[in-house]
Amino acid sequence: MSDERKLSYGQAFNEAVSQMMEADPDVFCAGEDIGAFGGVFGTFLGLQAKFGEHRVVDTPISEQAIVGLGVGASVTGLRPIVDLMFMDFICVALDQIVNQAAKLKYMFGGEASLPMTITTAGGGGLSAAAQHSQSLEALLCHIPGLKVVMPSNPYDMKGLMISCIKDNNPTVMIKHKRLLGMSAVVPTEAYEIPLGKGNILRPGTDVTIVAYARMANEALIAAAELAKEGIECEIIDPRTLQPLDADLIVDSAKKTNRVVVVHEAVRFGGLGGEIASQIQELAFDYLDAPVTRIGAPFSPVPFSPALEQHYIPDAKTILAGVREIMQRNVIRG
Amino acid sequence: MTRTASIVGIIVNPNAGKDIRRLVTPATHTSDVTKVGIVRRAIVAAFESGASKVLLMPDNHRLAERASDGIKGDIEVLDMPLSGSRFDTITAAHLFCQAQVGAVIALGGDGTSRDVAIGWPDAPLIAISTGTNNVFPSAIDGTSAGAAAAFVASGAVCLSVVGRRSKKVVIKIDDRDKSLDDLALVDLAFINSMFVGARAVRDPHTVHAVIACVATPASTGLSSIAGRIHPVGRWETGGVFVRLGAGGRKVRVPLAPGSFTTMEIAEVRPLGEGEKISLSGKTMLAFDGERDLPVSEFGTVTAHIETTGPLLIDVERTLVLAAQALMFDETARHISEENHVY
Amino acid sequence: MEISTTKQFDLHRRMVRIRLFEEAAGRLAEANRLPGFLHLYVGEEAVASGVCGALNDDDHITSTHRGHGHLVAKGGDFNRMMAELMGKATGYCKGKGGSMHISDTSLGMLGANGIVGAGSPIAVGAAFANRYRGRGQVAVAFFGDGSTNIGAFHEAANMACALHLPIVFACENNEYGEFTPRHKTMAITDIVDRAAGYGMPGVIVDGMDVIAVHEAAVEAVERARQGGGPSLIEAKTYRYYNHHGIQNLGLKYRPDEEVATWKQRDPIFTFEDRMIENGVATREKVDEIWAELRQDIETAIQFADDSPYPTPDQIMVDVYTKSSTSNTTVGTKS
Repeated sequence: MSDERKLSYGQAFNEAVSQMMEADPDVFCAGEDIGAFGGVFGTFLGLQAKFGEHRVVDTPISEQAIVGLGVGASVTGLRPIVDLMFMDFICVALDQIVNQAAKLKYMFGGEASLPMTITTAGGGGLSAAAQHSQSLEALLCHIPGLKVVMPSNPYDMKGLMISCIKDNNPTVMIKHKRLLGMSAVVPTEAYEIPLGKGNILRPGTDVTIVAYARMANEALIAAAELAKEGIECEIIDPRTLQPLDADLIVDSAKKTNRVVVVHEAVRFGGLGGEIASQIQELAFDYLDAPVTRIGAPFSPVPFSPALEQHYIPDAKTILAGVREIMQRNVIRG
Repeated sequence: MTRTASIVGIIVNPNAGKDIRRLVTPATHTSDVTKVGIVRRAIVAAFESGASKVLLMPDNHRLAERASDGIKGDIEVLDMPLSGSRFDTITAAHLFCQAQVGAVIALGGDGTSRDVAIGWPDAPLIAISTGTNNVFPSAIDGTSAGAAAAFVASGAVCLSVVGRRSKKVVIKIDDRDKSLDDLALVDLAFINSMFVGARAVRDPHTVHAVIACVATPASTGLSSIAGRIHPVGRWETGGVFVRLGAGGRKVRVPLAPGSFTTMEIAEVRPLGEGEKISLSGKTMLAFDGERDLPVSEFGTVTAHIETTGPLLIDVERTLVLAAQALMFDETARHISEENHVY
Repeated sequence: MEISTTKQFDLHRRMVRIRLFEEAAGRLAEANRLPGFLHLYVGEEAVASGVCGALNDDDHITSTHRGHGHLVAKGGDFNRMMAELMGKATGYCKGKGGSMHISDTSLGMLGANGIVGAGSPIAVGAAFANRYRGRGQVAVAFFGDGSTNIGAFHEAANMACALHLPIVFACENNEYGEFTPRHKTMAITDIVDRAAGYGMPGVIVDGMDVIAVHEAAVEAVERARQGGGPSLIEAKTYRYYNHHGIQNLGLKYRPDEEVATWKQRDPIFTFEDRMIENGVATREKVDEIWAELRQDIETAIQFADDSPYPTPDQIMVDVYTKSSTSNTTVGTKS
């Protein structure tokens, strides 16, 4: 029966944290409003009641100091989970993330490890406007020393979050705000999904769609529609963006010969560019068409639902992108 | 008596209220902003009350400039080289004397008043405490101090009525390579310490002996040791000598604010005015609570108490007399020297 | 608090070690034998020595871009330090950090730091971990006057006080933020005036007097260890050399007379005079200490000279920690 138990994406996160805190007394959480209130999205609900104020710490609104707390505590032996309410707020703490957390080990000649997890909530779709809706994962993936994780469903959330906590490096766990209520079967026991390993979310033969977080779900909707038209999409969810499972993506590209990369972040300088580039480096001769990138236009995230619904890619955008790439006919020589 | 001007001099010690006592006890921190505020209020009140000019000691925190910025009136910051040390206060007090300043307002601790007394032994003084465990200066707001200083400086209220001569410990140090004269306004302590270090005397076990001209149980610090055994008020003659050590009474003493310790008293001896006391041998002298001068094993320190300290101005009495003379009335705003009331 | 003879020699030794290391580094830089930037600590020795002399080996410190002195004072090894400055494989950071990132986590020294102000939040984290484990360890954040104008300092100070952590904020106020005098960059003179705003005590000590610094540090550290919370010590001090490099006189932003005045209060020489006057040391004994430590420096330079440079295959090593839980190879295709 326990196999049938369903949890939301947010609850899966909470259970991962809770189980790791039970298992390891060195794990603690710190962040804004995560104590009695349970976090602004409720993802830390009940943890302070269960583990006490010394292990679930309400902090001042001080993003640099919150991440600094994680850096200092992890480099001296604890396993912190530090929460930045919205992904946009990483910009307030970027020095501690980029110049400190990511680099201390290397700069110290390896004589340090920072087993810390930065958790945050990214993505749009809530009319939260340009400072509370961004998808800034590309910024983080560009920094050697960081690991970046963006789960697309409750099962992945729990397994990936446990791996983040257990990992001996600074990891950034990006929860997608629009997925928090998504419900699915999640095993009760603690389990890990290895960082750096992607997932074939749907096998297919005609075209590869690389999509993560909420876009992976939109891709699934599009794939179901396309299947009616006789187009079988293979959907690759990288799960972890840094390190990126390029092998899985490239193998799929070699099989389907066509690739569409989808993300919610703006197209220019987004992770799609990196993925497309790796595909052309490693599978150029297999491609029947240039890699298609689907992403948001190069503007800040707009506020009004009337604008935002046209800003963020969705199943319809993906459908259009796949249909277009399928129309390219390549005559092989 | 003719006066060419009614000058109020103001000295603000930028270093007071920030020493190690804030760490070891709940002593109060006095920020520069607080000091600037007090001085600013004093300047405004001085002009309001008839001062023709305000002279200020410069300091390397620029407190004087910041306090006087934008105030209309004849304000001058003394032109003198700065050392960033207590010698600035000594120099400024001396220059105030030469400039015929009518009343001096000094912000700081016991040490600041002591430095004023060194630079100008007869200074007519309002001493404002910007620290916690001060005995000589008092907690007076700048507004009242500035007004009283101006009334005295202008002669509107006579210094001989509201000024009172305070006591001091007169000290002579003869050592191997030096012979020095010095003074303390509250106490001279002999400390078993090799270093000036963080200056404040805070370890009770290092205190060997204290000569106090003011010993009050209402104070904290070294003078409170004697103050709890043999009180001597600010206006009583003479003082008291206390030697610490085993064999006598054990007394609970707040050597620093909010921090009590047991001290063993080996000897207590009242000292009459002018009665000399001599101690020889290696020691560290602490003047008004601060370690300052090491004395070698060849040294001898001789001290006595006399009533030759600064002329302390009674601020409240000055203001009462001014009120009785209707000097706060709109019609009396322009006080001239013909307007003396006493 | 009377300072024992042993402790006096200990503080003296820490200061002389810093002075000798820094002067040697300066000479090597002058001879173009050190790559990169060099920020010398000469003149400020009393601060690192007085504070670290109040710490246990397992207490933590965070440092600044001017960090050699802190590592030396915490017990850093000359050989590995000199090798790191030369970019050698035997250096503290295997040639990957250099002067600005020199560190020894085994000594609780959590790194010099190239980002002004960044060390304070990290010290807050170390202090949090120390209290969390309950082993009575303390963290000290060293920082300069200039870094108190950075948000990170304020966030760290506030969080440390809000969480009542066992930490000491040790400010080295050398009156210049890089090349700009303090009075042009802040409206206050004493950094300690900021402390009250966060609800912690702050004191000023003479940063050229190792005993003054040590007395305050002992109190602040003990206060933190006993659960009394954070405090701030502002040590008024001075760097003899330029912000970086070895020039000390003829600089456009500060008068030579000012340098000369501060040098008259040299923290090492004045302390030696006092020790000799007190009969604790003799001139011969002091000379002996300098000679012995000079030899250590020569040995360190030789060690660094003889050491190999890291090989190019080391570039990708230690970007990530291998994780026992993850069977993936870390790093991405490049």
